[in-house]
Amino acid sequence: MTKAMLIDTTRCIGCRSCQVACKSWNELPAEKTAFSETGSNPRHLDASNFTRVLFLESPAPGGAVRWSFVKRQCMHCLEPACASACPVGALEKLATGPVVYRDDRCIGCRYCMLACPFQIPKYQWSARVPYVRKCDFCADRQALAKKPACVETCPGEALRFGERDQLLAEAHRRMKASPGPYAPEVYGERTAGGTSMLYLTAVPFQALGLHHRGFRTDLGETAVGQASQAWMSGVPWVALAVGALSTGLYHLNQRRHRVKEQEEKGD
Amino acid sequence: MATVEQVGSAFTEPGSSPAGTSPWRLVAYYFLATGAIAGAARFVFGLGATTNLNDGYPWGLWISFDVLTGVALAAGGFTLSAIVYVFDLKEFRPLLRPAKLSAFVGYVMVVLGLFFDLGLPWRLWHPLVMWNPRSVLFEVSWCVMLYTTVLALDVLTMILEAREEERWVRILRSIYVALVVAGIVLSTMHQSSLGAMYLLMPEKMSTLWATPALGPLFYSSAIAGGLAVVILEALLGARARRRTPDVELLSSLGKGLAAALLVTFAMRVTDLYARRVPVWSFDGPHLLFYLELFGTVALPAALLGFFPAVRQGRIGLTWCAGLSAFGVALNRFNVSLTSYAGYRDFRYFPSVAEFAVTLGFISLAILAFDFAARRLPLHAPTP
Ligand code: SF4
Repeated sequence: MTKAMLIDTTRCIGCRSCQVACKSWNELPAEKTAFSETGSNPRHLDASNFTRVLFLESPAPGGAVRWSFVKRQCMHCLEPACASACPVGALEKLATGPVVYRDDRCIGCRYCMLACPFQIPKYQWSARVPYVRKCDFCADRQALAKKPACVETCPGEALRFGERDQLLAEAHRRMKASPGPYAPEVYGERTAGGTSMLYLTAVPFQALGLHHRGFRTDLGETAVGQASQAWMSGVPWVALAVGALSTGLYHLNQRRHRVKEQEEKGD
Repeated sequence: MATVEQVGSAFTEPGSSPAGTSPWRLVAYYFLATGAIAGAARFVFGLGATTNLNDGYPWGLWISFDVLTGVALAAGGFTLSAIVYVFDLKEFRPLLRPAKLSAFVGYVMVVLGLFFDLGLPWRLWHPLVMWNPRSVLFEVSWCVMLYTTVLALDVLTMILEAREEERWVRILRSIYVALVVAGIVLSTMHQSSLGAMYLLMPEKMSTLWATPALGPLFYSSAIAGGLAVVILEALLGARARRRTPDVELLSSLGKGLAAALLVTFAMRVTDLYARRVPVWSFDGPHLLFYLELFGTVALPAALLGFFPAVRQGRIGLTWCAGLSAFGVALNRFNVSLTSYAGYRDFRYFPSVAEFAVTLGFISLAILAFDFAARRLPLHAPTP
C-alpha cells in the first residue's frame, strides 16, 4: 500500500504546469525569475520551490539535438537517509509513501540536508524562525484521497500516481512495448534502496550527466541511511565493552595499590 | 600512592599570580567584543543574512571549527583520566585536573557554538525527549549533553574544594569512579560517532576522506588532539600564570602524543591502501591531504618519537603539540568542508560574522580557562 509516482520524461513537454500547481497548492511565494542558459527555471530548488523541470540537451542520432525534460522533487525514498539522519525524528517515511517533515520537532541542525543523496531538503535561510522545506508528495491531498497537485495538473500524462508495484509494472510494460524511445532502466526502482519516484527516460541517466544536479547514478542499491543504522547497532556494544574494561581496570589498579601499601606497612 | 608533594611537583611555584592586563588579554577582550556583536547580529537578522551558509553548504565554519574541532581538541579530559585510572600511569596525575578543566571549557564552548548554528536553538533539548535511535546525531547529542554534565561535576568538585565544603566534596567523591568511567565511555562513543556522521554522504566527499573508517579515525585523532592541547596548555598556561612547567613530565606525555599520531597515521595509510585511493596528484584536495597527513601527523610523530632533543625541549614540544592540534583541526575541516568542493555548483567561504563569532569563542575559551585556573585547586591531589 505504498503510493508512488511514475515520471515518464519522454511524455513531458516542459510546460512547467507542475511547478505552478505545486507553488499554488503549497502557497509558496512567487519570485522574479531570470533567463537561464538552459531554460530550466528557477535556477535551483529552494525553500519556496519544491519542484523544477530540468531542461537538458543531449546529442541524438544523426547530429540532431534531443531535449529531455526531467522533473525534480523529493524522491520519497523507501528508506530515506534524511529520516535516519535526523536526531529528533522530524522526518518520517509514512507507510503510504510520502516522506513528511514535522515543523514542531525540527531543531534546525540541517544534517538532513547533508545526508540526502538527492540534495532535496532546503532551508529557509532568510527566516528568523527557519524550517526545512521540501516536497511532501502532497501528503495532505493524499489523505483526502486526491492526487498530488503536480500529477493532477500535468497535461502531457507524463506524471502518473498510483501503487508503487503497479506503476513499476506499467513502467516495464512501456519499456517492453516500445523499446525505441526508452532507455532500459527505471531510475528509482532500486536506486539507493528504491524510491517512490520512478523515472523513465529516453537517454540513460548516466548519459544525462546529472551527478551534480540531484540524480546520481553511483548510489548503488542500498539505502544511504543504512550506514547510520549499522553504526548505531554497534554503539551499545562498544559502550558496554569500554565501560566494563575501564571499570575493571580501575578497580584492579586500586586494589594493587592498596595491597602494595599494606605490604610496605608490613615490612 | 602519590603524596601531595609528588602531585604538586609539576609546578614548582605554588600560588597564583594576579591577572593583570597583558597584551594577549586585551586582544582576547577585543575579539570577545566583536564576537558578541556578530553573535547578536546572527540572532537579530537570521542565519541567511549573517552567514554564507547556503543550500549546497548547510554546514560551515561553525560546525567544522566550533563543534568538530572543539570536541576533538577537548578530548584531553577523558584521555588523561584513562591514562591515570585505566592504564595506571599515576605520574601523569598533575595534568589531570587542568585537562578536565580545559575539556569542560571546551564542551561549554561547543554547546554555546551549537546555539548559534542551530536554526531553532531554543529546541536544543528536543533530542532528550524526541528520540531517533537510528540517528548518529541523536547519539552524539545525548553523549555531549551527558559528558558536559560529567565534566561540570568534576569542576564543581574543584570549586567546592576551593571553598572547603568538605561534606559536598565527600558526596561527589563517592561517585568519582562512576564519573571517570562515564567520561571514558561517553567520549569514546561521541568522538567516534562524530566521524560516523559522515558515513552517510560518501558520494559527496573526496575519496581521500570518504572512508568507512571515519569513526575510528576520528577517535584516534581526537586522542592526539586532546593530548596536544594538554601539553600546549601546560606550557603556555604556565608562562601566563608564571609557573615553571614540568617539562620532563610533559615530554613523556609527548611520547604518548607521538604514539597516538603514529596509530592515526598507520590507520590512514592502511585505509587508503585498502580502498585503492589514488593518492599521488597535485590538485587542491591532494595538497590539503599531503599537508594534513605528512605535515601535521607524520612530521610531529617523527619529531616527538625519534628526536629526544625535540621532545625534551620546551620549544620543540610546543611546536610539535601545536602542529598536531592544527592537524586535527585541518582534518575536521577537510572531512566536513573542503572534501565537498565541487560536488555541486555552490560555493562557500565563511562570512565576516562567522569568523567573528568563532574568534569570539576562542577568546572566551582562553579567558574562561585562565579565569578558572587562577581560582581552582588545579594542582591539588585527586583521589
Ligand atoms: S534540520 Fe530538522 S529535520 Fe533536518 S535533521 Fe535537523 S532536526 Fe531533523
